[in-house]
Amino acid sequence: MLSRLRRLPLTVRVPMMVAILMVTVSGLISERVLDRLSKTQETYLQRLASAYLDGVVASITPSVLREDSWEVFDGIERMKPSADDILPLETVVTGKKQIVLASSDPMARETLRPLDPDFIGAFNGAGVRIDANTRSGYVRRDIIYQNQLIGAVYAVFDVSSLLRERRQILATLFTTNTLLTAFLGLIGFVTVRRMVRPMHVLETHMIDAAAGSSTLIADSEFPAANTEAASVYRAYNALVQSEMERQVLARQLAEEEKLSSLGRLASGMAHEINNPLGGLMNAVDTLRLHGERRTVRDSSIELIQRGLHGIREVVEAALATYRPERLARPLADQDFADLRLLVRPELRRKQQRLDYHIDRTIDPEPGWPAGPIRQATLNLLLNAAAATPEGGRVGLQVMVTPGELEIAVSDQGSGMPDSARSILSDRTNKQIPRDGSGLGLWIVREIAGDLGAAITVSREPGSDTVVRLSVPRTISEVSKVA
Amino acid sequence: MSGAPPLNAVDRTWSRRSAMRLAGIAAFCAFSADHAQAQAQGTIRFGLTPVFLTNDLELLNSLQAYLAHATGYEIELITRRTYQEVTALLVSGQLDAAWICGYPFVHYRDNLELVAVPNWNGKPLYQSYLIVGADREATSLAYLEGDIHAFSDPDSNSGYLVTRTLLYQQERQPEIFFRKTMFTYGHRNVIRAVASGLAQSGSVDGYVWEVMREIEPDLVNRTRPLRKSEWLGFPPIATSRVLSHSPRIEALTKALLSMAEKPEGERVLRMLRLTGFEAADPSIFDGIAAKVALLRGVL
Repeated sequence: MLSRLRRLPLTVRVPMMVAILMVTVSGLISERVLDRLSKTQETYLQRLASAYLDGVVASITPSVLREDSWEVFDGIERMKPSADDILPLETVVTGKKQIVLASSDPMARETLRPLDPDFIGAFNGAGVRIDANTRSGYVRRDIIYQNQLIGAVYAVFDVSSLLRERRQILATLFTTNTLLTAFLGLIGFVTVRRMVRPMHVLETHMIDAAAGSSTLIADSEFPAANTEAASVYRAYNALVQSEMERQVLARQLAEEEKLSSLGRLASGMAHEINNPLGGLMNAVDTLRLHGERRTVRDSSIELIQRGLHGIREVVEAALATYRPERLARPLADQDFADLRLLVRPELRRKQQRLDYHIDRTIDPEPGWPAGPIRQATLNLLLNAAAATPEGGRVGLQVMVTPGELEIAVSDQGSGMPDSARSILSDRTNKQIPRDGSGLGLWIVREIAGDLGAAITVSREPGSDTVVRLSVPRTISEVSKVA
Repeated sequence: MSGAPPLNAVDRTWSRRSAMRLAGIAAFCAFSADHAQAQAQGTIRFGLTPVFLTNDLELLNSLQAYLAHATGYEIELITRRTYQEVTALLVSGQLDAAWICGYPFVHYRDNLELVAVPNWNGKPLYQSYLIVGADREATSLAYLEGDIHAFSDPDSNSGYLVTRTLLYQQERQPEIFFRKTMFTYGHRNVIRAVASGLAQSGSVDGYVWEVMREIEPDLVNRTRPLRKSEWLGFPPIATSRVLSHSPRIEALTKALLSMAEKPEGERVLRMLRLTGFEAADPSIFDGIAAKVALLRGVL
């Protein structure tokens, strides 16, 4: 119950609390007022009854002494007030031994008969007893003459006007309190709604931010006064600003990493270009010396063409990596051929060998953009090459299934440290590696996140560490990160 | 005086009252010239028994005005609580005349003289009623045994003597026959006592009962006559024997006997539901005298 109450929005809870408080307070006040009114009415009735009884007793005492029923009856009739709203309904005068001398209604209380004990029981000492059921007030008075009890007067008053007054006051209290409660509840509702509106604004922005599109709270949404809400807004905007700067920094770092890996590739590429260059120079010399010989000329030109092809491939591969926006096209087999070419100089430098295996031709799939996947795979391959000792082997396996594309990169290193593993697989770890180490893996993780891809790291039998990147087919949004 | 005139029997409409008020003013103007003479000649002290309903001030005023006008004397109306007080004042000569009951008249026959006797329905006679609650199933006096019984006055003929004689004739004592008896000192009170249930039966002046039935039907119709007595002499206006031939009494006698002939007197008679006054023979009280004789030594 309490927890259900806590789940209610503030705009409901506060007016409800106000209402409960008001109902409690008004209940207490009403109870006090009615109690006070009841006492006042009893005092009033007591005085009225006393005045009436004083008159009756003074008038009839001699007749009671003589037990003169007629005079007592006549006295009761004469003393009956007619102007008050509280009228005696019945008056009974008894003599000794509670024998009825006369009553205002002799048919009901027979003269000279003992008074009904039930009737006597309705009276309570000298004070007035109000019975709400019969709408009557009961009061009795002893008739004392020369210190002797000679009889008693029993008077029953019609107190319906008093009870009606109580009902009217109760109704007035109820109406007033209900209106007041409703009014205060409404004020509570409006006030709380105004108070929580900044929180709603903040909530909306935070939900957007969680969804990945954080925006600043616009000036137009700021409250007019410099309130707590404005202060919270400013703090939030500062947070968003810093997050945006962080993202810019991350992109810059990624860019730098890309350039850095390119740099590392550059020397290898120089070799790739230099190797054919030697052959090309030889071919040019051969042409110069023996160009008139057709066979020599044709074979030299063939050699030159092959050399230039090789150079062009290397240059194109480098360009493709450096300008990934050109590779928004779907992934193709050629991309893996490019990757082999790109890592070849690094592998050669460390006298390592690449075990490349692709099980079948890759269909064009819009969810598999060439640029980000090439970048991620290249980073994994370079990382594997770095981890594998000289003369070791690095593996690249590409498997295409109906549901996904799986790229597995293996190395023969001593196993991936936990920090590196955490960068790869822990999505909640938003921390950008500050010292540059692990930046390549962080970029892999960001790309995988954009592609909706899963990354698993495992130690295969034969002590190879395998990193698997599984990219599902239904990816519509093309990453812009890489 | 059991036949005390009742409440104002006049139809209490505005027009009637207005007419009377106008007539009163006219009378005042016409006879103001006689006022000084009346003062010089003295005052007639006229006693009324308590059953002559003192709350009907209009009737008293009209009666006083008529008598003052008709006699030329100033009229002083004197009322007392009981018959006995009025009778004592009359017998002792402190009143010039009084409207008393037939029973005290018979009782003090030697000291009193008749001035005039009212006529009810043309006769100087009335009855005593034994009344009970309207719903009560009783057919005779015997049913009333064990009742609380309301009498009017111990000196009243219709309100006491008649019932007392009846019981005596049946050899019953009222104090034993009835559980309790009470004197209400007024015929209207007897009717109130029986109507309210305070008493189960009562002895009342038949003339009062009949007249009040017209004026206060709601009250009177809660009772019914169980037994009506024989016709008896109507409560007379009497004077002490020594004053009976005085000019004041002669003037009063004349004024009463001629009341029906004068408009002011006629109006008073209408209020009283009487037809007039007559100089009746004392023998009309023989019936009452017989009852007194019967109970002599008992009361």
